[in-house]
Amino acid sequence: MRRGRLLIIVSIGLTIAGLLCIPFVVAQAKAVGFAGTILLLLASTAGIMNTLCTRRELHALIKQVQDAAAKKQVCRIDAISKDFIPLADAINDLLSSSAQTVSDATLRAKELEIQLKVATAERQHAEAIIYSISDAVLVTDPFDDLVLANESAARTFDFDLARAGRSPVEQVLKDDKVIALIREMRQSNSASGRRIVEHSVKGANGAERTFKITLSCVADKQDQNPAGVVAVLHDMTKEKEVAEMKNDFVSNVSHELRTPLASIKAYIEMLIDGEADDEKTKTEFYEVIQNEANRLSRLIDNILNISRIESGLVKINKQSQSLTVIMKEALEVIAPQAKGKQITLSEQLTPVFYQTIADRDMLYQAVLNLLSNAVKYTPEGGAITVQTEVNEAKKKVMARISDTGVGIPPKDLPFVFDKFYRVEANSRMAKGTGLGLSLVKHIIETVHHGRIFVESTQGKGSTFGFELDLAE
Amino acid sequence: MSEKTILVADDESHILHVVSLKLRNAGFRVLTARDGQEALEMAQQNHPDLLITDYHMPQLSGLELCQRLKQDTKTNDIPAIMLTARGYHLEPSDTEQSGILRMLSKPFSPRHLLTTVNEVLEGKAA
Repeated sequence: MRRGRLLIIVSIGLTIAGLLCIPFVVAQAKAVGFAGTILLLLASTAGIMNTLCTRRELHALIKQVQDAAAKKQVCRIDAISKDFIPLADAINDLLSSSAQTVSDATLRAKELEIQLKVATAERQHAEAIIYSISDAVLVTDPFDDLVLANESAARTFDFDLARAGRSPVEQVLKDDKVIALIREMRQSNSASGRRIVEHSVKGANGAERTFKITLSCVADKQDQNPAGVVAVLHDMTKEKEVAEMKNDFVSNVSHELRTPLASIKAYIEMLIDGEADDEKTKTEFYEVIQNEANRLSRLIDNILNISRIESGLVKINKQSQSLTVIMKEALEVIAPQAKGKQITLSEQLTPVFYQTIADRDMLYQAVLNLLSNAVKYTPEGGAITVQTEVNEAKKKVMARISDTGVGIPPKDLPFVFDKFYRVEANSRMAKGTGLGLSLVKHIIETVHHGRIFVESTQGKGSTFGFELDLAE
Repeated sequence: MSEKTILVADDESHILHVVSLKLRNAGFRVLTARDGQEALEMAQQNHPDLLITDYHMPQLSGLELCQRLKQDTKTNDIPAIMLTARGYHLEPSDTEQSGILRMLSKPFSPRHLLTTVNEVLEGKAA
């Protein structure tokens, strides 16, 4: 390259020298003119030759580089003449180092692509886990922006999951207490800290639900700085209801047990203390004790039977029975209670030869419970009618117990057979455990595959009944 | 000592009967009511020396009955004993707001009830 440049300089110098000699050619042609002319011609020829040669070399090099670029391959560039070897080498070095850089970058890009795929898969996996959790999950970043939430959270706080991403938590949640809890947790800066709070959230439909909120701080792996907060809201509404129902049940059962027990204890003490001075009073006391003991026994039977039927442990002994006979037996037992309230009992029963396949004790229990309820919810001086009907065509036998009692409000009617359910409007009329009708339903439908029904007009009375298959 | 009148309110007829008999045998004049509303009216008309009431009763609960009597200047001096099958505990505020001086839990002893009645009437319970 340097030699090429030298040749160009030399030829330009010689050309200038030749041109300077022209006046002398004219003036002193014979003396120095000839030699100058020769010198000028030589210089011009050398310069032209050199320029042509340089251009050819450069074109060849450019062509090779262009070919390599077109093929997208790193090829070796060769110089034709020695003068251009350093240039070719320099180009080759440059190409090779560029190729290495590109190769490194491609490799790094591939690595990053794999890392991104792994990270995406992990995130999708984590999201899938969070979405599948039935508890509401909220994840916020150090700026209290919501970064992740699941469907359950969207339902709980009534927000659009698709639009909630990366929004400040106070814009998404309408619950000040939950927002404050998330902020406090983030500010507490405790990487391993956990806080559990019970809180009620008002849903979109206005219904309040109780949640157990577990808040944890998520720390950054590298610098241990809190990276955000995870809040998991577990809906405890149902659990609380069940716990309340259990408490109510225990309280009701204990009340129901104490009431007959109170009579038994008091009357026995009165007899011991000689407070009943004549035989008539003594007999009356003994009867009270007996009736109250029976009442206690019925209550315990109800509790045990319902628990046995529900747990599937009950031993069922089905035989051909007359529903009319069972109804008559139950009527005899309930008669003293009805008499105590001056309630008229009347019966319209089918002949006893109509039989049904049933567990006698259980069916008796069901009829007794219905009769007992009728007495409980019928004011003094009312009437109770007991009926059985046979439909021979359909092979069915139906029992009806109708009263002139307080009746059941329409809103309560669908729930009267639910366990622990008590009609609030009538709760002062009589005490109960909310188990009697539930047991009747179990006995008729679960044990005997029959059908139970209720018709009622508030203030006028109710009819409870059931239908069973007639025995062949 | 003049004959004291005691009003007994309970929706359980057996309890009403046994308590009345125990008190009558002890020389008291006894009035009975089957629910809270009836008891309220009887208390207003007869101004008994003592009220023995069940907690859970139709129409008006025992606690509401006592509170209503306490609010009325004509009946606010009637002391009360409450009989209850619920695990209800007597709070100091109950005495102030309702005049309930003693709480007896069912099942109860008629003997113990009589002792309590005498204590309340003699002013020992206050």
